[in-house]
Amino acid sequence: MTSFQRWAFCLTVPAALLTLCLYVLPILQVLALSFTEPTVGLGNYVALFQNAAIGRVVRTTVFVSAVTTVLTIVMSYAVAFALVHMPPATRRVALFMVMVPFWISVLVRAFAWITILRRNGVLNSALVGSGAVSQPLELVYNQFGVIVGMVHYMMPFAIMLLYANLSEIDLRIIQAARSLGARPVSIFFRVWLPLSMPGLAIAGLFIVIFSLGFLVTPAILGAGRVLMVAEYISVQISSTLRWGVATALSTMLLLVVGILIALAMRSPALRAAFEGGRK
Amino acid sequence: MTAMAGLGIAVAFKPGPASAEASEIVVCNWGGAALEAFQKAYGEPFKAKSGMEVIIDGAGPATGAIRAMVDSKNVTWDATDGGMVDAVVLGKGGYVEPIDYSIVDKSLVGEGLAAEFGICNYTYSNVLAYDAKKVGATAPSSWNDFFDLEKFPGKRTMCKWIQGQLEAVLLADGVKPEEMYPLDVDRAFKKLEPLLPQLIFWESGAQSQQLFRDGEVVMGNIWHTRANLLRKENPDYTWTWNQNLMFASAWSVPKGNPAGKKVFDFINSSLDPESQVTLLRLMGNGPSNPKALALMTDEDKAVYSLAPENAKSGLPISAQYYADNEAELQNKFLDFISR
Repeated sequence: MTSFQRWAFCLTVPAALLTLCLYVLPILQVLALSFTEPTVGLGNYVALFQNAAIGRVVRTTVFVSAVTTVLTIVMSYAVAFALVHMPPATRRVALFMVMVPFWISVLVRAFAWITILRRNGVLNSALVGSGAVSQPLELVYNQFGVIVGMVHYMMPFAIMLLYANLSEIDLRIIQAARSLGARPVSIFFRVWLPLSMPGLAIAGLFIVIFSLGFLVTPAILGAGRVLMVAEYISVQISSTLRWGVATALSTMLLLVVGILIALAMRSPALRAAFEGGRK
Repeated sequence: MTAMAGLGIAVAFKPGPASAEASEIVVCNWGGAALEAFQKAYGEPFKAKSGMEVIIDGAGPATGAIRAMVDSKNVTWDATDGGMVDAVVLGKGGYVEPIDYSIVDKSLVGEGLAAEFGICNYTYSNVLAYDAKKVGATAPSSWNDFFDLEKFPGKRTMCKWIQGQLEAVLLADGVKPEEMYPLDVDRAFKKLEPLLPQLIFWESGAQSQQLFRDGEVVMGNIWHTRANLLRKENPDYTWTWNQNLMFASAWSVPKGNPAGKKVFDFINSSLDPESQVTLLRLMGNGPSNPKALALMTDEDKAVYSLAPENAKSGLPISAQYYADNEAELQNKFLDFISR
């Protein structure tokens, strides 16, 4: 270690201490409740696996998160791919449009979706008015509405992550493929797609982790009919006072996320994504 | 959140022990229009009497929030506006002080409205509210009609929070009011299941109003206070008092509250009939002091759940039953409606 490196290391110590005291310790304190509330032992964890209702909540969460992730990634890839191919002036406008939702609170966005999706909302009025459907469609207060809201929330994140990855791809490789006679379809599947794996992997991981703990959007757009883990935990904390079960479920969620990250880090694509900066 | 953090800092830096010379009472309620209304009905009269400022914090005194405050010994609320059920649950857990009846005059409130850990500040009901323009010539008049999709087609709303939901279902299924408790949950679920596709569940009072305004529902099981606000906006939205489900709200005092015993002077003052009628006129929250009835006009009585005319077909919600069973029941209900 050079003396510069030692100095640089020392500068990170205060931030690390602060994080440890104000973030890690309180989290551990909360997680400890899962072993002590209401009685000492593993009772809460046993209850998690024996409770059919919690099983259903977990299944709903996994299903909604998986569908959200797949849809988000597919659509975001299309947008990011288009961004890379735009002339710079158009791209600036497009990037701006992608960023706009970031400035609007998640609550406002959920209520905006209700206005659009409800029975006599914007979309249904247009559909019924144009004669496309005779009865308004059930677009919200169900899993469909929740997924629409979540995909909309996640897309800007995924687009930015994918755009960062795609714009780093050396366009000379594409030219080389073309000059060797590859058709556009095979250029996409054999050049673009393999080279975007790091971006896809990191965006996918990010969206899955984010979705698993989503609270506001499912609660509002699901209106009781779609119960996900985060909302279940929130009910146990604030109204039923079953803190033991709530913290046990939080611990499990944290563990699952940790395992997901650990597994993902074993894949070369994700390691490449994290090491991308070191050139 | 920021407001709560701010309050925490304010309390932490207050000079001297907070309870020694309290200069203010901090009341926590559920926010919105209730901030101003509580100040007018309870805060201003108390300040005139005692010189103490009343601060209304609208952060929402969920039982979990109170427990967290008491556990971390950083209590910033003196009086919290929760249900009588919350008062019993919090009392059982040791998170609230017993009401000091040497300061608070028990006889000010009606029978059954003064408990060990909570005293009723106001009453309200869950009622069958409807959109008169949408239900046709005959208005729905009982929970039976809530289930009658032929006579009254269209979506309905119920609350995601369990209190007062299954009672309406069981009344519609023919259970006699006097045999309501303990609730026959399986019977209620069986009756409710076919109706599930027609139901939208609300979780906040504001949301229950919005569902009517948006024309999403034709009728619903909502708080009469919210139905009253809706009717003030548009007389097409109205409700029936028949088979209303009567709730008692209650003041509780978190253990180790900053103002100490002074809070009980505030609570006593809030039971004043004039204060209570003021709140009724602003919000529709009904007086717990029977003497308030003498101060009421006919218009006031029309929105008062304990007015004899309205209370006669009402079913009092059992606080004790919920204190013992709510956690279990709430989870069962959430599981049932999300299947």
